[in-house]
Amino acid sequence: MFQGLTFEPFKLPDEAESIRQEVREFLARELDPGTLPNSDFNAGESAEFSRKLGAQGYIGMTWPKEYGGLGKSFLERYVVTEELLAAGAPVGCHWIADRQSGPLMLKFGTEEQRQRFLPKIISGEYFFSIGMSEPDSGSDLASIRTSATKTDGGWLLNGSKIWTSYAHTNHFMVTLVRTEPQSENRHAGMSQLVVDLSDKNVTVTGIRNLSGEEDFNQVFFDDVFIPDDMVVGTPGNGWEQVMSELGYERSGPERFLSAFRVIVEFAREIESNPSDEQLALLGRLAAHLVTLRRMSISVAGMLGAGRMPLTEAALIKDLGNSYERMVPELVRLSVSGNCSPRFVDTLNECILHAPSFTLRGGTREILKGVIARGLGLR
Amino acid sequence: MNEQQQLIRDTLNRLLTDLCTPDVVDKSEAGTFAENLWQALTETGLTAAGLPVEAGGSGGDLEDSLLVLREAARFAAPVPLAEHLIAGLLLSEQGQSIDSGPVTIASGEFVISADFSLSGKADDVAFARWSTQVVLVAQGPDGLKLCRVPTADVEIVQKNSVAGEPRDTVSVNTQLSAGSVFSVDPQTPERIRLMGAALRAVMMSGALESVLEMTVQYSTERSQFGRPISKFQAIQQQLATLACEVAASQMASHSVIESFSTLNELDIAIGKARIGEAVSICTDIAHQVHGAMGYTMEHSLNHRTRRLWCWRDEYGNEREWQMLVGRHFSNQGADQLWGAMTAL
Repeated sequence: MFQGLTFEPFKLPDEAESIRQEVREFLARELDPGTLPNSDFNAGESAEFSRKLGAQGYIGMTWPKEYGGLGKSFLERYVVTEELLAAGAPVGCHWIADRQSGPLMLKFGTEEQRQRFLPKIISGEYFFSIGMSEPDSGSDLASIRTSATKTDGGWLLNGSKIWTSYAHTNHFMVTLVRTEPQSENRHAGMSQLVVDLSDKNVTVTGIRNLSGEEDFNQVFFDDVFIPDDMVVGTPGNGWEQVMSELGYERSGPERFLSAFRVIVEFAREIESNPSDEQLALLGRLAAHLVTLRRMSISVAGMLGAGRMPLTEAALIKDLGNSYERMVPELVRLSVSGNCSPRFVDTLNECILHAPSFTLRGGTREILKGVIARGLGLR
Repeated sequence: MNEQQQLIRDTLNRLLTDLCTPDVVDKSEAGTFAENLWQALTETGLTAAGLPVEAGGSGGDLEDSLLVLREAARFAAPVPLAEHLIAGLLLSEQGQSIDSGPVTIASGEFVISADFSLSGKADDVAFARWSTQVVLVAQGPDGLKLCRVPTADVEIVQKNSVAGEPRDTVSVNTQLSAGSVFSVDPQTPERIRLMGAALRAVMMSGALESVLEMTVQYSTERSQFGRPISKFQAIQQQLATLACEVAASQMASHSVIESFSTLNELDIAIGKARIGEAVSICTDIAHQVHGAMGYTMEHSLNHRTRRLWCWRDEYGNEREWQMLVGRHFSNQGADQLWGAMTAL
């Protein structure tokens, strides 16, 4: 078989399973019954909920104890994240800091940066955004033009980032910028800077998405001063650093669970008297989900063992995103009339968010390109 | 994969490369049993991998035998390994050993009297015409009986599947000896169906792997507009989708293999349903990329794709197994759906 396409079966270890019940009890206690659950990690946010989660030790739980983490395994974290998503908890505030910004600092950041940011990410006080896309740079990330030029004691940042989720409420943004002009090597000369979103030279403008929410933004930088100690890693090494996050970013349960609450409400809708067709659809959706989850856990096992399965991660995201888009489309045709408002609301919310599933974190087309490279075609 | 399994795979690969050429597959379809292939598989103990030594098997894990099936399916091996394994397992439970065969299994309507007079009929019996014995379950006066019938004593009407493999109609009206009849529990027909579904799922995943390899290979060899078609994004995206489905099938197949010894119904149902669905997508893409060449009898892609189209329907198609999975989860109730999934 092709390298990068082999998923060995992996069983979550006992300590990961034992945390599951604990998380379920926490969620039963803390989830607001008045809010419609949504499994899309980007569809709900509550700073209060994130702080409670932090107090429980569920943010940054794999990080070292010296920063307030619990030193738990990556697989224990996997269980916590999938339980949060399956329950439809509002995880939007802390999700990026927990998944990406914190691990980035642990890997590439200075001791000072870790001391400053990690404890407050863990307690649910600091929320992070990702600054990657720009108005003229989406899938072609290497074409970014936002730049920082060296000045005394730091850098002067100018340009703009777009589609930045929660930049209007989050505290910081890890921003990929050019620190050297573009050269023949398109991937050289980029750096990751931590931008304080409350800086007076940073302007955040909301963008209304098609469901009417203003969760994402355009962020403008006008001579924003970034002190030297807010550069993460080595200046010029930004591209490699960003690429190293992708295995984590693309293979997790958020890449196939976004529509999960639709399946739950569908099951509730048909519970009393399911037709054969409805049972077959529920079974079909479950067979896909169980298989995707096993693949994702297999990659979690690889990541936990220190491997970097980039092709496998892209494959899970592509397969999982297609599944997430398929769920509401099939479910809506399987029911007829007299549906409960709860079902209708859950379904419609999913349909309105679904276009983002196959765009965010790497489009379907980019992912398929990564897989094709794994097949030796590029 | 452990050392023993690695050894099995290497041995099989050599053997199948030599003895399961496209020509052998074609000849089987034209009516000549792949005798040399079966004999070589028997001599190396691969037809009886996973069966207890005292039952005429080669010992080892049941997982080994499923590995043999998966590898053989990569080569579209025209031999009844799955049926022989099911028959061997059922016979070994009765303390009986299986002969070198091939022995096939028939699922149909059979009745046996108190003095062992057996009659009845089954359709779609794989490789019946080339088997030494047929193993079947008949309704007896006091419960179900497992019967072992020499093929010489049955009437066979030859029929082929869409893959050109024998799926014969077997009619029986014969007298058996007491030593060929064994009482079995009422779940036996359902267990046979589960074993069959599991083995077909594993075989499909093997054939799908081979379809992916062939299709990627072909795309790099075929040139149009001055370059290999693998260089076109349109083709790359199709092949990536194909790879996704094959990877999902592999994963589902692993779970089926792991649950075969306990015949976990849910895992087998999920595997058969999920892999069957992958077959539709994968065969569509593979044929599209192969163009008209893949549509010919000459090209051996059809050895895989036609078997896949046959196997996805055997022992329950996707819909039947999806319904079983759906009923399982529906019975748990909506709020237990996630709990039931993580309990798998």
